[in-house]
Amino acid sequence: MIIWSIAKTTVGDAMRRKVVQIFLVIAMGLILISLSFSQTLAFSAREGSSVDLQLVKSFGLGLMALAGWLISLVMGVSLIPQEIERRTIYTILSKPVKRYEFIVGKFLGAILTLAICVALMGIVFIGVVAVKAYAAQPAHTAISGMAAQGLDTAGTAPERIQIIDANMLIGVLMVFMQFCVLTCIVMLFSVIFTPTVNFFLGLGVYIVGLMSSTSLTLLRSEHASIFVRDFYWVLYRAFPPFDQFNVTNALLYPDAAVGNIWVYTGWMMLKGLAFSLGALVLAVLLFWRKEV
Amino acid sequence: MADAIVVQGLTKTYKGALGDRVTAVDDLSLQVVQGEIFGFIGPNGAGKTTTIKVLLGLLFPTKGSIEVLGAPAGDNETKKHISYLPESPYFYEHMTGYEVLDFYCKLFRLNKVARKRKIGELLETVGLAKDGRRTLRQYSKGMLQRIGIAQSLINDPKLLIFDEPTSGLDPIAHKDIQDLILRLKAQGKTVFLSSHQLSDVEMVCDRVAIIDRGRLVKMGTMEELLHIGRTVITFSGAGQPAIDAVKSLAAECQPEGNLLRVYVDAEEGITRVLEAAQGKAHLVSVVPQRQTLEDLFVQIVRGARK
Repeated sequence: MIIWSIAKTTVGDAMRRKVVQIFLVIAMGLILISLSFSQTLAFSAREGSSVDLQLVKSFGLGLMALAGWLISLVMGVSLIPQEIERRTIYTILSKPVKRYEFIVGKFLGAILTLAICVALMGIVFIGVVAVKAYAAQPAHTAISGMAAQGLDTAGTAPERIQIIDANMLIGVLMVFMQFCVLTCIVMLFSVIFTPTVNFFLGLGVYIVGLMSSTSLTLLRSEHASIFVRDFYWVLYRAFPPFDQFNVTNALLYPDAAVGNIWVYTGWMMLKGLAFSLGALVLAVLLFWRKEV
Repeated sequence: MADAIVVQGLTKTYKGALGDRVTAVDDLSLQVVQGEIFGFIGPNGAGKTTTIKVLLGLLFPTKGSIEVLGAPAGDNETKKHISYLPESPYFYEHMTGYEVLDFYCKLFRLNKVARKRKIGELLETVGLAKDGRRTLRQYSKGMLQRIGIAQSLINDPKLLIFDEPTSGLDPIAHKDIQDLILRLKAQGKTVFLSSHQLSDVEMVCDRVAIIDRGRLVKMGTMEELLHIGRTVITFSGAGQPAIDAVKSLAAECQPEGNLLRVYVDAEEGITRVLEAAQGKAHLVSVVPQRQTLEDLFVQIVRGARK
């Protein structure tokens, strides 16, 4: 009850922050604007609809990732320090509230806020993709007809276009999990550091996490010294592999997919959950004796 | 009567900006008896808020021991019987007064029915029954303070810790809080009151502790701390014969128009002055002048700094 109350209050507080609202509204607005891409970009009449759809999907997922990144970083760095600065924490911790309940409540509230933001963007995105897919169907039917008659289709794949693309749900889910991990990490830092320091630390962790594939390549390199390999081993193991959550290519171009996308998604969800839980446990331990 | 708070040799040091140790509270010892209103006063930076935070378990002592209602400070079970009102409390502004109290009620694990009943009672007690559905953004400072007080009464606490409860309030709200503190005392609650409003402290507190630079400077009841000073005897219609008669017996003699004010230091001097002035002037009043807490506070703090 206590954790849930703190989480709900955190959601209400975070969702009313102007900065969160602005990022959210801009992202949803831009995703909506992508509906007009076919009118502004010139494609050949034959392949226009399919390329247009791919572009909308790629743009939408990229935009959600950018907005998710900004929201999680800006929200996560200040949620706990602000409680201390505004002294709300005094009236909460002077009640029979255990310190871990406060931290878990704040984490849960931040994750729920992120989930709401990603869900709102996701609904707009899936809607835009559905509209685009619907609009692409006549052209697609024509190309399929041409292919059936053995005519030249210029390599356009005559696969069936789905109005609701389940793969896009995976994309939205991965965006959420990626920034759930980042939110938890900046919340962990916020137990110790000031919001400014935390912002740059969070940024640093995110950038290093985005290079996990590079780190993996370098640690496996036979030409690298042991020191370099050990260094990259630490980077690869200690930092969340943020780049591995980016499945846009795999979703848009099935040939580039890493095996079964559902299995991969499940595995990444588990990884994300493990990093988030790890950050939460560390935050609880650090907050145990923190003076407020 | 049992002690509500026992502080023994409390020392709290912080790491300063340059890595040095700053002592906020230095070897502080005090006891607060259950059922009393205990004033805790000191200049800014004296260590009052630090002490309160240690009592609540928000800060940890560097040295010393603290017991609150018989348990170590910060004990979760004990917190069920304690309440705290910080200076200028801030709550989530997007919430209504009702929602804020509902949130704090949930922290005490009250069920829905109990919460509804309690919130109604509390809003009534602090005079916000009609404003419970307004968001805190629309509240004045006084109304926010009232919500702060309401949240501190949720658990019907045995011990209330108030940090500057009347800071920045208008005279009406100020008076309401004074009355509330006296009502709490009548109900047998223990109140630990930290305030810069020394007249409030003098009026409502049973005992007072004065701290300066983290050290306890003085502690005692009002009677122990504030001694009776001079007595002012006022006469009317006093001519030169009356002045001549009392002048040598008084510490000071001040004719003011038709009135004559005679200041006497010792108690026996009062009778002598009254006898000397008999038949020469009409007695108007005899007023013993007690030292105020403010006088004592200024005297102690200035004295300590010299």
